[in-house]
Amino acid sequence: MNVRRGVRYWAASYAAMLRFDLAAQRNWLPMFALMQILFGAGMAIIYGFYIGRLSRDAALFIVSGAPALAVLTAGLIGVVMMVTERQQAGTWDFIWSLPTPRSAAVASTFTVFTLLAVPGIIATLALAAWRYGLTLTVSPMAVPALLLSSLMATSVGFASALLIARPLVTNAIVNALIFVVLIFSPVQFPISRLPLWLADVHRVLPIYYLGQVLRASVTQGLVSNLVLSYAVVAAWTVAAWAGTAWVVARRR
Amino acid sequence: MVAWDLADFRLYLPVLGAVLILQGAGFALGMGLLFSKMPEAAAVFLVTGAPVMNLITAGLIFEPQVVAEQRIRGSYEFLQSLPVPRSAAALAWYTVALGTALPAVALTLVTGEARYHLNLTVTPMVVPAMLLTCLTGVLLGLAIAHGITVPMAAMLASTTLIFVMFGFSPVAFPAAQLPGWLAAVNQWLPFGSMATIVRAALANGVASGVPRAYLVVAAWAAGSALVVAWAQGHRR
Repeated sequence: MNVRRGVRYWAASYAAMLRFDLAAQRNWLPMFALMQILFGAGMAIIYGFYIGRLSRDAALFIVSGAPALAVLTAGLIGVVMMVTERQQAGTWDFIWSLPTPRSAAVASTFTVFTLLAVPGIIATLALAAWRYGLTLTVSPMAVPALLLSSLMATSVGFASALLIARPLVTNAIVNALIFVVLIFSPVQFPISRLPLWLADVHRVLPIYYLGQVLRASVTQGLVSNLVLSYAVVAAWTVAAWAGTAWVVARRR
Repeated sequence: MVAWDLADFRLYLPVLGAVLILQGAGFALGMGLLFSKMPEAAAVFLVTGAPVMNLITAGLIFEPQVVAEQRIRGSYEFLQSLPVPRSAAALAWYTVALGTALPAVALTLVTGEARYHLNLTVTPMVVPAMLLTCLTGVLLGLAIAHGITVPMAAMLASTTLIFVMFGFSPVAFPAAQLPGWLAAVNQWLPFGSMATIVRAALANGVASGVPRAYLVVAAWAAGSALVVAWAQGHRR
């Protein structure tokens, strides 16, 4: 039997899977962007209502934290919902049976969702900045920051949904997580306000660092531990890939 | 019907109870993190506003989702055909909703008081205020659940309402912190008024316009009851 392999075959499979993923997501796209804007920009505006009178610094903190909320919404809710929906419908069994390398199929899904999240993130940032009348200093690092954070959120959401493998459990966990992420993460307020034990938890989880990476790309002088932040975000991305590879490579 | 509801929701109710506790106590603790130093006025608003969310979440958000699911599965028609007066079914659900919400309310108040060192003065008016608030939440939820026949639309409406209640209504923060037009709109919406009547019964001198707030909430309850009666009363 002739087994096809090689870089060119992989690239062709990847391109074919990209078309498949884009076509499969077209109905879902507007919902995806809307959800991100609602959670990202919506929360940034709502926090302002709660705080009342905002100093410029406080407003800047909230605005520069908003894109992280949009990224987390896309990764935690959007990607996880997509994966669990496909688990329930049996779509993954179909995808794994296609004559393409499984790595190409996964790479295509990561690419599509990483890029899909970008418009929502930018819209969130623009809306939040407009609401508080701020001008942001966007550095060229915004491009890698955006892509890396979105890739990390996609990868972690994807890997967790695959690893848990039970749609109902995954959905329950995600619903609990959204709340915790939105309210107890040091994205919209400095990490020093958290109780020590919770701050320690956040020094391991990627959420705080994701916020730092994004914040540094649109502000000046607010973020000090940027290299560490990039490293942690990258490490979580790689770990998620390892988890994904482990699940995907198993025979069923 | 109370027994039916308890059996029907036996898996959901513990989850709902946990969600309400998170939503109330967790919310009261978490929002405090937004402030570098919590002003007492803000703490009073937060701690007296969070119970309102506890009181109406089961009715307003949980019930429409459950009914939408019943419609999708087809059990809706069966339940409607049971030989039980529909008002008895509604009252049974109100009892269950109240029973789920009240422990969460108590926990929210205790947690909030301890965290922000507040001295709340609970008056007997807390009984009608909380009963009416919960009733209005249940009736609004029933109106959405039975009045909107497309399940997806009903789910969307209830999800939108969570956002409106939590973010765009002066429930856990003063109305003055909203833009003027939004504060004006909220004069006629139920959530801000619910918060006003509950707050008036829990803390001295922070709530104003209490009689008007009672009228607004009661009007929403009556309007919702009419919608429910209409939606359930006519033959299909």
